[in-house]
Amino acid sequence: MLIIFFILIFNVFSFEVKNFFYLVSEPIQKKLWSAGATLSNFSSSIFNSQNLKKENEELKKNIQALIVENEFLKELKKENDFLRNALNLGLEKEFNLEVAEIIGKDIAQDYLIIDKGSADGLKGGLVVISQEKVLVGRIEKSYENFSKVQLLTFKNSSFDIEISEGIFGLAKGNGNFNLLIDLLPKEKEIKTGDKIFTSALAGSFPKGLLVGEVQKVQKLDIESFQKAEVKIAFDVGATNFVFIIKGLKK
Amino acid sequence: MIKKIIIFFFLFYFLALLQTSFFLHFLKYFPNLILIAIVLICLLEDQKNVFGVLAAILAGFFLDIFSERFIGYYILISLFLAIFIKLFLKTHFRLSLTNSYGSLPR
Repeated sequence: MLIIFFILIFNVFSFEVKNFFYLVSEPIQKKLWSAGATLSNFSSSIFNSQNLKKENEELKKNIQALIVENEFLKELKKENDFLRNALNLGLEKEFNLEVAEIIGKDIAQDYLIIDKGSADGLKGGLVVISQEKVLVGRIEKSYENFSKVQLLTFKNSSFDIEISEGIFGLAKGNGNFNLLIDLLPKEKEIKTGDKIFTSALAGSFPKGLLVGEVQKVQKLDIESFQKAEVKIAFDVGATNFVFIIKGLKK
Repeated sequence: MIKKIIIFFFLFYFLALLQTSFFLHFLKYFPNLILIAIVLICLLEDQKNVFGVLAAILAGFFLDIFSERFIGYYILISLFLAIFIKLFLKTHFRLSLTNSYGSLPR
């Protein structure tokens, strides 16, 4: 009875209790997050040292190809800069943004904890992206100084996507950073590596945010649509900062 | 007892911080250290000791704080887990793995 009483009390003040613990833990969590990122990079470089020679040779070949491609891209960049200036594009020009630092991940589910909350004007439902305009997810709950971001891979979440050349589908979160695309028209050809972007069909996310790329296509005769497994573009371990879209600029 | 509770309070808090901010960089599916700690405490402590149950409540509280569930979800899970282990040991084992001082019996 005593335990149930305390549970009820804590749930009444759950916002305050959680906000207090996040506030106290923030400096330690920031240190642990950056230490974890540094250490994992270091350890992965040690484990991969055997492949370095082979990788080096391949990289040399790639450099040659990239030099040629770079020249081509320089030309494209000039054109792109010109168009960008003309059309007034760019992340900060397109959206009203708020920068936040990731301080933790939820223990069991696909959630991130960021260091900005309702005191900074954040509220539930706002879209979270990375600096490369990659979709991260959506704010689920805002505490005073912190917010919980529901990742795009959260189980049972779904949103509309567009694969290159106007192929629309429905992305469904499978939990644990897994995303599956359903309702893809069977007559359209989808290849591994095709880029996936958000679509404005249902209005849940702004159009054109990168979701990831097609990892595996599942085409079965008994099903009327084809499915695809997605390699998400957002890497939770490699990102420290995210942007929250507070609104669209016109 | 109170000293022990305070020590485990900070231990579980630190484990929760490690779980949410540090270990996720290394493995995609990292085992839940706090639940493992509860199981170990309940298995290794004296059968008559109830500290394992208190530790389970404490551990569940920190799991709830750093998860999106309502407060009480993990408290109840870890509490039932601790009680289950205690009852299982009581009905199936006559000797505890350690004595009341926490060391293995000679």
